[in-house]
Amino acid sequence: MANVLIVEDDQDLNAAYTIILKKEGHDVESAFNGQEALKLLKKFNPELILLDLLMPIMGGLEFLQNYSLKEQHQDVKVLIFTNMENSPEVTEAYKLGAHRCIIKSWTAPQNLARVVDDALSTKATDSAA
Amino acid sequence: MPASNENTKKQAVVGSRSAAEERAQSEAIFNSIGDGAIATDEFGKITRINPTALRILGYKEKEIIGKWFPSAVINVDENGVPLSLIDRPITRAFLTGATVSDRAYFQRKNGTRLAVSITVAPIIHNNRPIGAIEVFRDITLELKIDRMKSEFISLASHQLRTPLSAIKTYAHMLADGYMGEILPLQRRSLETIIGATDRMNELISTLLNITRIESGSIAIIPKTTNLVKLTEEVIKGLRHIANDKHIDVKLKYSAPAILKTDSLILKEVLSNLLSNALKYTPEQGSVTIKLTGRNQHLTISVHDTGFGIPKHSQQQIFTKFFRAPNVIKHETSGTGLGLYLVKGLVTRLGGKVWFESEENKGSTFYISLPK
Repeated sequence: MANVLIVEDDQDLNAAYTIILKKEGHDVESAFNGQEALKLLKKFNPELILLDLLMPIMGGLEFLQNYSLKEQHQDVKVLIFTNMENSPEVTEAYKLGAHRCIIKSWTAPQNLARVVDDALSTKATDSAA
Repeated sequence: MPASNENTKKQAVVGSRSAAEERAQSEAIFNSIGDGAIATDEFGKITRINPTALRILGYKEKEIIGKWFPSAVINVDENGVPLSLIDRPITRAFLTGATVSDRAYFQRKNGTRLAVSITVAPIIHNNRPIGAIEVFRDITLELKIDRMKSEFISLASHQLRTPLSAIKTYAHMLADGYMGEILPLQRRSLETIIGATDRMNELISTLLNITRIESGSIAIIPKTTNLVKLTEEVIKGLRHIANDKHIDVKLKYSAPAILKTDSLILKEVLSNLLSNALKYTPEQGSVTIKLTGRNQHLTISVHDTGFGIPKHSQQQIFTKFFRAPNVIKHETSGTGLGLYLVKGLVTRLGGKVWFESEENKGSTFYISLPK
């Protein structure tokens, strides 16, 4: 079981992911944009972040730049949760150190729980594969 | 003077007047073309340029007439790098003897770039080129509208998907008992909702991908991919359709099929081909997917025992919105975008797609991809 941070601006989805991951036994905190997430990260140390890309105030890419994922938090897995498949934003997120990209509208709850577990069981060095 | 001599002279005057009139007429046509037009002789020297071309390029007539076309009119790519001589439409027209159309950028006299659509027609006389005419038009506005259209579709699709994600997630949560026990009838209703959101998602994906292919903005993220695993996932995702129609789906491979490609895009391609095969194969039929590797390429074939593609429709099968008349009779739903998308995506992955088909016997679609 792990500390998981959900960063998703859609309240319904944020609540749903929280229910699903809590049921799996994870310790879950949630934020509704990148700025809120950065604030939360001062007191919460996640092993995995579920990150939306398109959000108000601070989007996912800007969050990744500010969080310095590649430089300072190599052990934290970031799963991009977006509906912008095959987009330049996804390519950029990988460059900034994201572990995997998942299409929200294709993902059932069991799959969400599974990809979170898969990511948590992957070593940091495997992330680029 | 004898009468016959008089007549010959008159005919010569009439003849020469006709030639002059023809020249004046062609001059007027050339000058009044709304697009830019430049004519060259067989050596590529500019012999004529119309006022629109002068205005677009920013030159005066005397600065350009008699100059060698490739050095007087500079073509550059989107990054401002001059095109090599062999890549220029006019060179290709001279070399092939055929009309060539392309998009490029002109570098104007003041150094600015301008996007143009170019058509070059060689002038052929006695089976040899004696010159060429290049006609071009400014497409700046077209490109801007194209970009705006792509951005709009991309944003609209994304916005459509956000509520869809919530519908699907909560329907799944209800069906999976996250909110308490449910009755079998309620579960079936939830499965219908989930199926409908999946169909909507597929449509949005298709629209998004087509927009991105057409605007050249599709992002390819190559990763080491296990093709067997990927194909099994695709089959699993469509298994319910096969089961409903009692279609036997087989996957055959002789060795591990590992390649470096964009797995999400390849999955979309395979899903399209398999879902087509299942859709257009009657009940009790069979679909076989084979993975074979040779040298630096992997080939995927999807064979079905379905309705097949009539000979007269085979040339159009990869064109947008095309649906063969024999399948419309059996299956009314369908956008005619699937194979158009498959071809666009496979091309972006650096691969090739082709097929063999016989009406009422079935079809085999092949994809070859670099490892």
